Amino acid sequence: MALNENEKINEIDVNELDCRDTLTFWEKFGNIFRSKSIWMLHYCTGCGAMELPPTMTSRFDMERIGMAPMATPRQADVLLITGYLSVKTLRRIIYTYEQMQNPKYVVGFGSCTLNGGVYYDSYAVISRLDYYLPVDLYIAGCMPRPEAVMSGFKKLMDMIKKGEALGWKRYQKYYDWYKKNQVRALGEVYVKDEFHE
Amino acid sequence: MKRQVKLFLGPNHPGMHGNFSVHLYVDGDIVEKARPLPGMLHRGFEKLMERRLWMNNLALIPRICVPEPDINEMVYAMGVETLAKVDVPERAHWIRMIILELARIANHLMSLGGIGGPTGLYTGPNWAIADRDLILDIFEEITGARVYHMYIVPGGVRKDLPKGIEKKIENFLDYLEKRLPEYDDLILKNPMVQARTVDNIVLPEEVCWELGVTGIGLRSSSGKPYDIRKVDPYARYDEVEFEVPTATYSDAYTRLTIKYKEIQQSIRIIRQVLDKMPKEGPVRARISRGSALRWRVPKGQVFSHIECARGEYGYYIVSDGSNMPYRIAVRGASYPQGLLGIEKYLPGTRIDDVAIWLDTMGVCAPEIDR
Amino acid sequence: MNFMNNIIEDIKSRFNPENTEIVKKNQIAIDFKNEEVHSALAYLKSQGWKQLTILTCVDWIKENKFQLVYILMNWDNSITIQVRTKIDRDNPKFRTVINIYPGAEMYERDVHEFFGVEFEGNPNHEKELFLELWDDLPPMRKDFDPLAYSKKKFDVREYKVDFIPKEGEAE
Repeated sequence: MALNENEKINEIDVNELDCRDTLTFWEKFGNIFRSKSIWMLHYCTGCGAMELPPTMTSRFDMERIGMAPMATPRQADVLLITGYLSVKTLRRIIYTYEQMQNPKYVVGFGSCTLNGGVYYDSYAVISRLDYYLPVDLYIAGCMPRPEAVMSGFKKLMDMIKKGEALGWKRYQKYYDWYKKNQVRALGEVYVKDEFHE
Repeated sequence: MKRQVKLFLGPNHPGMHGNFSVHLYVDGDIVEKARPLPGMLHRGFEKLMERRLWMNNLALIPRICVPEPDINEMVYAMGVETLAKVDVPERAHWIRMIILELARIANHLMSLGGIGGPTGLYTGPNWAIADRDLILDIFEEITGARVYHMYIVPGGVRKDLPKGIEKKIENFLDYLEKRLPEYDDLILKNPMVQARTVDNIVLPEEVCWELGVTGIGLRSSSGKPYDIRKVDPYARYDEVEFEVPTATYSDAYTRLTIKYKEIQQSIRIIRQVLDKMPKEGPVRARISRGSALRWRVPKGQVFSHIECARGEYGYYIVSDGSNMPYRIAVRGASYPQGLLGIEKYLPGTRIDDVAIWLDTMGVCAPEIDR
Repeated sequence: MNFMNNIIEDIKSRFNPENTEIVKKNQIAIDFKNEEVHSALAYLKSQGWKQLTILTCVDWIKENKFQLVYILMNWDNSITIQVRTKIDRDNPKFRTVINIYPGAEMYERDVHEFFGVEFEGNPNHEKELFLELWDDLPPMRKDFDPLAYSKKKFDVREYKVDFIPKEGEAE
């Protein structure tokens, strides 16, 4: 079933340099320190989370590069989308993302966030994450090995240091575009109270 | 004065096992009402499987249960073999047992160490996950992947064991056996864990029958060896000797102890398998004359079940004689305790016991949601 | 096998099953008429099939029927019984079994959500369990196309570079 032209999502240029021109000296200065200590949100949204415990604990130990899990969204810097994202989770992810403080970064984890992976024809799983949230970095693989995860995190740190991880600014700038896509996939971006009792 | 507060536990909560949510109505910290909210991991597997060829499904099914994916392959292969009347080579049966038992140890280590999360003992997960990684290394050598193996296929296993892997498995078993007493000291004898688990969250036997709870929950309350490996043996479990640890009083601590004992029994099984298995021979039967992708499975409806680390795991497979399954229904082992168990038997406990229930009953969110 | 035949004989002497079948070792399938299912389940429960393993549904769209399958497990003699019955697909309704097997409550909600079968007597059967704000046919029905739904709702990534070699091109 092909879509009409006006039903399609118009792409935005994700590499646009526009967002970058506010970079001041102090922001550069802050980015260096920001990149050295990153708290990632401890939320397993999908099966890729299975490779996070080895990454966090003694074998690969990501704390040595300056990352640690954090329980609450308000104190976290990185939101990991670990694998496929079902519609029901996406609603909660958007809530979580909007709760996080700026600057915040999103890492897409595994093939399912890129193009749907094996769930390309599933009725409950979104196919492409960067339509709904600004993704700074993708780690491919199903599921990515801990080494790949570590290398991805290292890359994210470099990006933060150079001021390239600007997803959060993009989210502010193109908020309407993201909201429109979210509404299209979810119907309403609203977590209702399931049990009125 | 009685005041009821509504508390959302999960899905974003460190004590939650997976993407799962429980809504609690609490008075103080006593839970008065609990409502599970699954579906955050729903991917529509049952529908997707109807749209894939019989062999293509192999790539999909391990993803149903993340901590222990191999059971899916096994239960699918068993069901399809029954329908298509395929005879599995002798050596393949034994290799399957090695894989399944290693996966069981990996899962038990994860949840035995995982009790450290809700009780605040973070050494537990650190040790257990590092030891589990040794199993993943063995898996990687056998199958080429760490977590999702796609190794057990209808007709046998995908490839023979690599050379010298037996030695490595034995070394690992020796290591783990030496390591187990340390786990006993660290977790089971730890006063912190005992204070939180002994006499806590007692599961009566009638509840198990009523809800359909199987696995450790059923065995620890009924005192009978209700284990499908014993009751309805598959592969070659009838040719190895092992005991099924049981108990008659099922509190959280007993269930932890049984997990610990099951690791010991799994080690015993793998040792016997390495000893008894035929050293050579085919490992994969030809399932069809042409390409395996064009394979048509004869008509039929069969329920195949095996014992996973959390209980009875089953697929109901329906074939209408075409090249795709007509319907596959998945019976996740933690379905009863994860949904109805939370709703009916959590009230009366405290908020912090929710995570202990999820851990000791082995609630696995992806297999509930499918 | 002999033991399983005894069970089938026993069932045949008490009820009028439409069809009985020995599926494999330790597994029997029995097709009942709609009205006999509840009494058969109650009888089997008293005979030791104390646990309902799963309740599921199959959509036979060509016959215009839904088939409900109750799988019962007897842990003492290790025999699994599939109790099956076919109901009308146009207005699918069935009486609940939660008074016989309380564990069926969530399975019935599951079947209602994915097939649209209504279970009369189950107080919560209409509450959604897995899906949220669902706006289409129940998804497990055969006439529901997940690919079309997915395309309608979630746009896919288009790859500008074609990695598949064209005809005549060297690989």
